[in-house]
Amino acid sequence: MSRRIAVLAFPGTNSEDETVRILRDCGGDAELVWWSQAEQLAQYDAYVLSGGFAHEDRVRAGAIAALDPMMDAVIDGACAGKLVLGICNGAQILLEAGLVPGTGAVRQPTAAFTKNLPAPHFVCRHVRMRLAIDPARCVITAGLEPGALIPAWAAHTEGRLAAPREHLDEIVAGGHVAFVYAHPDGRVDDGAVPNGSALGCAGLVNRAGNVLAIMPHPERDAWNFNHLARSEGDDVLAPSGGALLFRSFVDAVNV
Amino acid sequence: MKQVGLREDELERIAEGLGRRPSPVELYAFDAQWSEHCSYKSSRRHLRRLPSAGARVVLGPGEDAGIVHLGTHAGERYGIVVAHESHNHPSQVVPFEGAATGVGGVVRDVLCMGAEVVGLADPLRFGLTDDVRGHQAYVARSAVDGIGAYGNAIGVPNVAGDVYFERGFNDNCLVNVIALGIVKEDEVVRSYVPKEADGWDLVLVGKATDPSGFGGASFSSLTLDARDAQLNKSAVQVPDPFLENVLMRATYRVFALLRGLKIAAAFKDLGAGGIMGCSAEITGQGGCGADIDLDCVNVALPAMAPEVIAVGETQERLLWAVPPEISPELLRIYNEVFTLPEIACNARATVIGRVTSSERYILRHRGEVVMDVPSLLLTAHIDDELPYTEVIYHGGTTDELPAVDVESIFPKVLAHRDVCSREPLYRRYDSVVRGSTVLPRGSGDAGVLAPVTGSRLGVALAVAGNPRYGRLDPKYAAQHAVLEAMRRVVAVGAVPIGLTDCLNFGNPRKPEQYGAFIAAVDGLAHAATELDLPFVSGNVSFYNEGPDGAPIPASAIVACVGALDDVAAVVTPGLKGAGSSLLWVGSRELVVGGSVLADVLGIEGQLPALSMSAERAAVAIVHDAVTRGVLRACRAVADGGMLTALARLAFDAMLAGRSIGAEIDFGNPLCEAGGFLCEVSDDSEIDVTGVLRVGQTIDEPQLIVNGVRFDVARLYEIWSRPLAELYP
Repeated sequence: MSRRIAVLAFPGTNSEDETVRILRDCGGDAELVWWSQAEQLAQYDAYVLSGGFAHEDRVRAGAIAALDPMMDAVIDGACAGKLVLGICNGAQILLEAGLVPGTGAVRQPTAAFTKNLPAPHFVCRHVRMRLAIDPARCVITAGLEPGALIPAWAAHTEGRLAAPREHLDEIVAGGHVAFVYAHPDGRVDDGAVPNGSALGCAGLVNRAGNVLAIMPHPERDAWNFNHLARSEGDDVLAPSGGALLFRSFVDAVNV
Repeated sequence: MKQVGLREDELERIAEGLGRRPSPVELYAFDAQWSEHCSYKSSRRHLRRLPSAGARVVLGPGEDAGIVHLGTHAGERYGIVVAHESHNHPSQVVPFEGAATGVGGVVRDVLCMGAEVVGLADPLRFGLTDDVRGHQAYVARSAVDGIGAYGNAIGVPNVAGDVYFERGFNDNCLVNVIALGIVKEDEVVRSYVPKEADGWDLVLVGKATDPSGFGGASFSSLTLDARDAQLNKSAVQVPDPFLENVLMRATYRVFALLRGLKIAAAFKDLGAGGIMGCSAEITGQGGCGADIDLDCVNVALPAMAPEVIAVGETQERLLWAVPPEISPELLRIYNEVFTLPEIACNARATVIGRVTSSERYILRHRGEVVMDVPSLLLTAHIDDELPYTEVIYHGGTTDELPAVDVESIFPKVLAHRDVCSREPLYRRYDSVVRGSTVLPRGSGDAGVLAPVTGSRLGVALAVAGNPRYGRLDPKYAAQHAVLEAMRRVVAVGAVPIGLTDCLNFGNPRKPEQYGAFIAAVDGLAHAATELDLPFVSGNVSFYNEGPDGAPIPASAIVACVGALDDVAAVVTPGLKGAGSSLLWVGSRELVVGGSVLADVLGIEGQLPALSMSAERAAVAIVHDAVTRGVLRACRAVADGGMLTALARLAFDAMLAGRSIGAEIDFGNPLCEAGGFLCEVSDDSEIDVTGVLRVGQTIDEPQLIVNGVRFDVARLYEIWSRPLAELYP
């Protein structure tokens, strides 16, 4: 059964079009919802928060957006078990909203994606995200192979996972680190991490496994023409590479 | 009272045209509109010599951006909109803001043609940054951060660009920016109203007008000393990429509205001359007049003087001219759906006046008419005939080339500031937002995008303009810029279809500097005519000189747009396999004038001859290899010569995990005469006329050059490091 996916656009979001496009190309019934239409959000079955600089990333990336009325619907939905995927700025917003890792209360974040290290600059770099949990631990990744490698682009200034020691321990113990940065051959080490992220973390999942926050952008490496050197099949317009994750998400939404 | 840049004879001409002395508002209006920046008064007569026609030209120079035909998809013709701007003077003074507003402006130039903005490029010229804590380094870092901050936030990928560090730019950097857009050719929005527009609404959209940027147009037309004096007078503009992001998305919705209703409209960016300049041109060029009430303008401060509201250059503003029946819906989209007033303080869309058939340009303020002039006088083409000294290049020295010890020299060439990896710089730019990037920054000689959703059409973009040549011979440098930009587009497998330029020169009132400009136009015109490539847009930036009056190196910077019918044909990065032939296609003259090698050796030498017929033949050979699918890898030969091109092909192979090197044998592989270095399979049946086989690929990551062995990984270390300190 095809269920409806809302792709949220806050003021300052900049990746909404390609996010809608890849969800549709993977069989999802996705629509864009602008910030002035927040009241429509409740009727959707799943939410995707795409990349950008929502509310200009004032204070801290995602901090203001987490208070946006649009997030009321997302928080309600997440608590009711709807699937939520946040990408880059969307991931930052989910952390600021306290939905991920979800070890504290709503809108009381216990961890943040914050300024890159060693240099606090924007970094645009191709990466691989390696699935670091049992695929079934998170509904959204259930369609992936164990240890799946997803190609994506890191493109952010604030992508380093940071949290007080006790919260980091909780993140590890609760199996919240869904993705880590990896080399193309799957190896994991500091050289693969573009931003100094704690635990090499590229993505976090909540306790219930229905909310996933990832920093890199798989939707920017999601069609054969984005990666001609490693195309799968002859059709340059066909989804591949980063599309794997969106297919798994759409399949989970449509169950 | 603020200083105006008008000359005595210009003031007389204004008084004569009006039959009276101009009012204060009128004086500032003419000051802006007749400035070099707006009027191209010293350049227009020469720019006419650039070829601008051709079968693919949809819209040539004259509006906010030019348009060239890309291809057809699903029965629709698509055009690439391209604009080229400079923000040199603001970037030297406040580099972050100056460079950022440069991006914002060129993006609006493309947007207002009815296009979706799909790509950016940024040719940069900075002073020597050896002291990474010094002022030149500050300018070089802040300008890059400004470009990144703006482009990243609005979500337009930066896919091409270059950077040179040169003593000649120590006191006057160059920040050029190019934007690309995609538009269906029958949905282009024009920059001026049609004749029957009498009674249309003029709708101002965007940021609240403030005193920032007041006097910006004449600011750009002053030399550095005079600019310093203007600094405390707010001539520099303030960027708000957050607002521009929302403006772009709201505007896309308005385009859809107009398409649905099949309503014609005019749309234009507010640049130099502010509300006055934009409204005078959008109406005047259509043969109409305007009647505007400055009290209707949304302003940031109370009690702003009418001349500041009228000609201030506040950023992030656009002007629509639309039939009044659609104004309510247009206002609703901007103000309610996209909530402009909540995005930035007092930002909004608002009706400020109307188009008239009277051919008078009228501004009102507090119930008084503060400006009432003939539109034609205001937008008249001012043409200054200035004296110039002809620039003749004397040919350089003909010293015999010293024997080059490749083993010791090649690492120095790779680490040279004009050759080493640009990655530390462009890593700060989002090169992949929009999800349509085929080749991002750094993965080829040109960036490539798939700009039409669901289509295989591709567009390539590359820039060139070598200041080492500019220093020696402005005409040669200009020709070379056309050739190099074109080669870069060809090297990724695209067909070059159009050019855009920015002519960055010194003071046109100094005959030798004006002469350099004229020589550069000659060079551009010659090369573009010979290669049958039109210039569809362009820009001129004069008064680029230091406090001592020394001009920058002549800098005709060229961008080339290329088309791909199918992005699958893109030549992907890096050597592909062992046992293929390495061919040097194109000119291979063994002289070193203007090369990195000459700089490293401290010699002058002669400039390599440019042959347009050899160039056409080389391009045909590369195209043929692309079409037949036998071109496995390719790089244009440029800074650092053929050996550098080869090294970069080897680096890209290494980064992709392929263990491949090459063995070549060639007299002086560091000459920069041009052409292409190509990897082709051995059975490629390439027509070998004009082609030299210089060696072959091997299955170990080594470059063996005339018997000297280099480790590819070691060379990569040398090449990739130098800029990391400047851009950590």
